[in-house]
Amino acid sequence: MKKIFALALAALPLFTALTACSSPAGGFDKGTAITVVSREEGSGTRDAVRDLFDVKDADGKENVTEEAITADGTGVMISNVAGNPYAIGYCSVASLNDTVKALTIDGVAATAGNVKNGSYTIQRPFYLATLGEAEGLAKDFIDFILSAEGQAAMVKRCVPIDENAPAYSGGRPSGNLVVGGSSSVTPVMQDLVEAYKAVNPNAAVTIQESDSSKGMNDAKSGAYDIGMASRALKDAEISDGLVPVHIALDGIAVIVHPENPLTALTNEQVRNIYNGEFTKWSGVQ
Amino acid sequence: MKMRKIKDLTLRGLTWLCAGVTAAMLLFLLAYILLKGVPHIKPSLFALHYNSENVSLFPALVITVLTVALSLLIAVPLGVFAAVYLAEYAKRGSRFVRLVRTTAETLAGIPSILYGLFGSLFFVAWLGWGYSLLAGSCTLAIMILPLVMRTTEESLKAVPDSYREGAFGLGAGKLRTVFRIILPAAAPGILAGIILAIGRIVGETAALIYTLGNTADVDPSRGLFTSGRTLSMHMYSLANNALYTDQAYATAVVLLVVVIGINALSAFLAKKIVKR
Amino acid sequence: MISGITVKNRSVREPVMRWVFTVSALTAVLAVGLICVFLFAGGFPAIGKIGVLKFLTGTVWKPTYDDFGILPMIVGSLYVTAGAILLGVPVGIFAAVFMAKVCPKPLYGFMKPALDLLAGIPSVVYGFFGIVVLVPFVRNTFGGDGSSMVTASLLLGIMILPTVIGITESALRAVPDELYEGAVALGASHERAVFGVVLPAAKSGVMAAVVLGVGRAIGETMAVKMVAGNQTVLRAPDEFLKGVRTLTANVVLEMGYAEGLHREALIATGVVLFVFILLINLLFSALKKERTE
Repeated sequence: MKKIFALALAALPLFTALTACSSPAGGFDKGTAITVVSREEGSGTRDAVRDLFDVKDADGKENVTEEAITADGTGVMISNVAGNPYAIGYCSVASLNDTVKALTIDGVAATAGNVKNGSYTIQRPFYLATLGEAEGLAKDFIDFILSAEGQAAMVKRCVPIDENAPAYSGGRPSGNLVVGGSSSVTPVMQDLVEAYKAVNPNAAVTIQESDSSKGMNDAKSGAYDIGMASRALKDAEISDGLVPVHIALDGIAVIVHPENPLTALTNEQVRNIYNGEFTKWSGVQ
Repeated sequence: MKMRKIKDLTLRGLTWLCAGVTAAMLLFLLAYILLKGVPHIKPSLFALHYNSENVSLFPALVITVLTVALSLLIAVPLGVFAAVYLAEYAKRGSRFVRLVRTTAETLAGIPSILYGLFGSLFFVAWLGWGYSLLAGSCTLAIMILPLVMRTTEESLKAVPDSYREGAFGLGAGKLRTVFRIILPAAAPGILAGIILAIGRIVGETAALIYTLGNTADVDPSRGLFTSGRTLSMHMYSLANNALYTDQAYATAVVLLVVVIGINALSAFLAKKIVKR
Repeated sequence: MISGITVKNRSVREPVMRWVFTVSALTAVLAVGLICVFLFAGGFPAIGKIGVLKFLTGTVWKPTYDDFGILPMIVGSLYVTAGAILLGVPVGIFAAVFMAKVCPKPLYGFMKPALDLLAGIPSVVYGFFGIVVLVPFVRNTFGGDGSSMVTASLLLGIMILPTVIGITESALRAVPDELYEGAVALGASHERAVFGVVLPAAKSGVMAAVVLGVGRAIGETMAVKMVAGNQTVLRAPDEFLKGVRTLTANVVLEMGYAEGLHREALIATGVVLFVFILLINLLFSALKKERTE
């Protein structure tokens, strides 16, 4: 009985304190530990960050700090960073909003323009691939993606490669199409399929989410009519008969809370934050 | 003597405090969500189709209603019939009855994430239904089955034996007695159980993410095989997304209103049962 | 009313419906059977491939490099559950005593629906509340990231309150009034009679409430995932301001993109959780037996 009594006494202040809502602390304290936020295992964006910032140990294995908070999804990532003044995270340039602040990397701002002209190097290409030159419905769908309508449909999720593409003028063929591969390209593809359905109601496009390599393999084997990859095609894949189509670019922005006075990091600093070498914000300046 | 009095007073104070803290917690949570959410409830939230501009919860509302209907359609007959068997037909304490009861209790204790895993392995993958309304509803039907069974059995047992004897005395068969006399008499209790089950379905997320899918819009042309998301799942997606915090508050308000409505309905029914 | 035809129909209908009722009763058995078969069949191959010991006692979870150790998650689930019990049970018991023995009648009419509502609020709403209120609160008050063991325990402590209060209250009410009256007649005060006689008499009911609370806390997924930080690090108990990942969160976080052995390992994580739940169920029914005897 006494034990329960004591426990209750210990628990009560916590509960009562809760009812008085907390007020945010004022000012940015550089001595505070960095809250590193990372995506979950299996995410294509996580893999891209590992490769682009070289967050790897001597054996080439990813060595993101164990203390990193795991966010499963772009939205979770952004809300984690937006809700914590001392957090750092990353997301696709197209997903940026004003609840977080994108840092310049090696002096270059993470903007769609800089991704397109290549000066912002933290980026990856989105590719589609077909076995041999695309024909029929597959060709019409790819033509649509590269048209003004298709490129416009992608703006929300990635950086289109051609703003001045001509309008879609396909023959609206009917039939079924299976598109599969990279989970990073999948959301873009969902938007594209929706837009395509609006102009060509005759076609039914199914999307299957897996990863870039499976997408290429299954495009080769014919399981997918069109494969999706969030990287350039390997030479071996091209020599096996796959024809790549570059559809878009995806820049990855490094994001912090708007209250964080920091505006710039170098590639190496990002690596050192993510591998746990820098643990405090004061270590970055 | 004085020591004891102080001790008594502290204990009494603690019971008040703990109950007060519990009530305060609820009031704080409700007030917080309502204050932040109500100003963001707009007609556009109820637009026919979801897009990233209106963040409509209407498709989610439709899917919620469909999921509830479909799950009940499966679980209620099974649960009620099973309870009829346990209460009216089975020999009390037989091995089969014990087995059914133990498994029902086991089912009731399984957390929803495991239902979700099972659903995605069995309905989605093994039966090949894909992420669909059907797979989600079947998963939930299993989840609410023990609840329907237990509440029905309890209300069947609460029907006085004189009802049964009277019916038999008038020459009615067992089946007729069950359907015409006992089930109607137990109806409010069964209904209260069903409403509890609706509450569980409305609040569920973990069991649905990998069975119903989690798409913001519905594709009516695919019928029972459309994927979608319920109001709770919609809320979960919005809560996770910094872009839609305002809409998340608004959706939370709608969800709370639904839950409060369900609670009020079950309280009303409970009162009715007591009165009888 | 009863014509020859209906009598004949009845003689067919009775056994048919009896059969239907029996089969319906079987569905619960069938469902448990299917769940066991599919979870175990989905998870055991992975445990076999990884190795039982390596899976259960491994401390590194890096699916990309085939490191599948779930000890941090097992420990994480235990910490968070223990924290929830530590915070929720004492408050719950006192509140239950209030409900059963102290509460003035008009107030009861408000408290009871309030508790029902607390039980009915969807866990995502709790999770959202956790993100927008509890996480910043813990960060500003205690420091750290805010997404931590303490935050998750706090949230779960609130979430199990209605379960603990409800069952404890009915256990207290089930204690015969004679016990209380006897104690008062012997000169005990109201409080002494309630805490010294009635509460101990309801012990097994209170234990059942705690066990059910444990079950609810260990199985909670979405709300915990949203506030716990989800790091796969093996924590010491005093690192309560740091994040942990629970078994449930591990499944729901990575299931989306997982493939091959990674996916199987996540199902195996579910199997481990399932075993925990079965043990808790066993404990619960043992307590229930004790209570009815």
